[in-house]
Amino acid sequence: MAAKIGKYISQFTLVLLLFVLVILPLLLLIIQWLTGADKAVLLSFISRETLLLVSKSLLLSSVAAFLATVIGTVCALLLYKFRLLFSGFFKAALLLPLFVSPYIFAVAWKDGFYWVFGNTAAFYSVAGVILVHTLVFFPLTMLITGSALSRVHAGYEEAGFMIVSFRKMLFKILLPLIRPALTISFLLVLIFSLSDFSVPAFFGVNTFTIEVFTQFSAFYNYQLAIGQSVLLLVLCLFLMLAEIRYLSDAPFFSVDIRGSVSKRYDVEKQLIFHAVLSVILFIALLLPVFMLVIQSLSGRMLFFEQAWELIGPAAFQSVKVAFTGALLVTATGLWAAWMQERRQFRLPGLLLLFSFIVPSTVLGIAFIRHFNTPSLNFIYGSVLILLITYLARFGFIASRIIGNGIKQVPASFEDAARIMGISPATRFYRITLPLLFPALFTTFVLSFVLCLGELGTAIMVYPPGTELMPVKIFTISANAPQALTSSMTLINFAVVLVFILVFLFIGKIIFKKFQYV
Amino acid sequence: MYKIILENIAHSYGDKQVLSDFSFSFEQGKTTYLVGPSGCGKTTVLRLISGLETPSQGIIKIDGKIVSAEGKTSVAPHQRQTGFVFQDLALWPHFTVFNNIAFGLKERKASAIKEKVSEILKLFGIADKAKKYPHQLSGGQKQMVAIARSLVLEPDILLMDEPLANIDIKLKESILQHLKILQQQLNFTMIYVTHEHSESMNVENCIVVMNAGKIEASGSKEEIARSENSFVKSFINF
Repeated sequence: MAAKIGKYISQFTLVLLLFVLVILPLLLLIIQWLTGADKAVLLSFISRETLLLVSKSLLLSSVAAFLATVIGTVCALLLYKFRLLFSGFFKAALLLPLFVSPYIFAVAWKDGFYWVFGNTAAFYSVAGVILVHTLVFFPLTMLITGSALSRVHAGYEEAGFMIVSFRKMLFKILLPLIRPALTISFLLVLIFSLSDFSVPAFFGVNTFTIEVFTQFSAFYNYQLAIGQSVLLLVLCLFLMLAEIRYLSDAPFFSVDIRGSVSKRYDVEKQLIFHAVLSVILFIALLLPVFMLVIQSLSGRMLFFEQAWELIGPAAFQSVKVAFTGALLVTATGLWAAWMQERRQFRLPGLLLLFSFIVPSTVLGIAFIRHFNTPSLNFIYGSVLILLITYLARFGFIASRIIGNGIKQVPASFEDAARIMGISPATRFYRITLPLLFPALFTTFVLSFVLCLGELGTAIMVYPPGTELMPVKIFTISANAPQALTSSMTLINFAVVLVFILVFLFIGKIIFKKFQYV
Repeated sequence: MYKIILENIAHSYGDKQVLSDFSFSFEQGKTTYLVGPSGCGKTTVLRLISGLETPSQGIIKIDGKIVSAEGKTSVAPHQRQTGFVFQDLALWPHFTVFNNIAFGLKERKASAIKEKVSEILKLFGIADKAKKYPHQLSGGQKQMVAIARSLVLEPDILLMDEPLANIDIKLKESILQHLKILQQQLNFTMIYVTHEHSESMNVENCIVVMNAGKIEASGSKEEIARSENSFVKSFINF
């Protein structure tokens, strides 16, 4: 009985901590807005211009989400449903853009236009933002739909083949079967795109997220910025209500598809498939990197040394903070997922979903208003504020990837040990944890890369004395020569790439060791 | 003599009532077959006896001692001297066959564990599979490992949740024969859940026919065959 009470108290404490650190600042923002001014001022931000800006942001993000979902689904179909030569290479290479911060691609594409056309005016537009968001986020949709396609039982397709053509089977059976995955892909990219600060800011495209940031940081119009944040928050809440059905139980992707019996097809003319994948890979990864290299070398002098001097210290600090952040995000994700999948306690997952949906700049404003006080300065003035930011932004994704891993470990594995008298702690460490290791490792790597590239909130809350790579590049790039910006971006890309390669190497060993089926 | 007594058991998962007013006594050293259509509550009965679930209402006694009563568990699962063979076998995929069986023998010396596991592996004819992982075994070998694991702690009660559902009839008969011999040697009480009535009708043990969380009929093979209960008639004639 005492153990049970102790368990409830510790659970309650963790939920309370999550609520106080992540959700309370957002709720207080709404309360501050409601109590901070008279009604006329309260609603002054709802103007025609504001509504147009909101519509423009939603439209921009919807188009990017749609295009990313289409491209990701095509890649997933080619790579997960057909037996292609070099499919492993394409799967890994096409995922790389996901692990690179969007603003790196923004710089690269801008470089490309400058190099080809001599000016970048055409790129400073909504089209530029859509292009970069599509190319950066399509690997996420490929991962989710690919995982869903791998789980479709061969029998469904074979039964379809008995009566209809492949084309009809594809559109009438296969794609409808993975509709939840398609919906989730679309919604996730929509949220990421809406929340992204770096790309529209870099291209000078005014989205609502940028507008909130500008009012707050440039014009110091706090009341208007808070009002706009609340509007965005309310929009997100509506979005959340619509999405809760899909996202809170989102399958995301399975790290390890146990006992999969999906059908894969042989292809005679592999050349066409390879050509399609190669073109996508070229546009999404090789071309931007090539453009960055060209631009870095095009100046009158080489900027690499200067670039390294500028962002070298920030790179080390970024890696340290991102590593700690990824550990925190993974641990919290494991706890929230465990509560949801094994204890049917959904509250931690819902709190993380709420903070995930909130746009980055709104989160930044809420954190500044809440933590920037003498009593909470130990958080606001240290890297703790960044760790809380990472938790708020990426905790939900971690919880869902791990949750999917937990779903694949039958409860009977633990029951069998329980009957033998194995203690809960031993059951967890000896049975569940080893089986979840691939999912935990993937979550950690993804969280690390996302933390390393986070800009939208970090630019608003990073504490004095802490230098972060994305923030540093973003602030320097405003007044630096193009070649210097490209050199810094290329160094940033190289740092990310080195860690990805290290993680790939470790991952290969881990996945081999933990491959049981 | 009765080993396990269930009195007026009711149990539900959320809003869904799975057992209601379920009472039955299981005889010591005998095999009882729980049969009935899918979703009728057979597995729930096993989970309640094992202590993995606590009944919402009613009393469960083992060896005359109350182990669960009215929503409270007084004896933990591992103190009930039960072995459980799960429907999916629940063999831990990251453990070898040896470690799967040895995992529960935690309070013994390493040499004693080795001896005990070797003994049971020999008994089940899978001694050469000790270092294999579950995914390296055939379906029949996996079943043997699962049963061996549940018997290694020498339980008084063996609970079998359709563990032989997906194997061919010859192998199934061979495993059941093996179990019968083991039961005679070790004198454990066995409760065997199946949805195939033909499986239970071939043996001379107690049969309990369940439907919608209730007992429709119970008794020997002959008594069940003579039952006037319309559900039992349609179920065994199906």
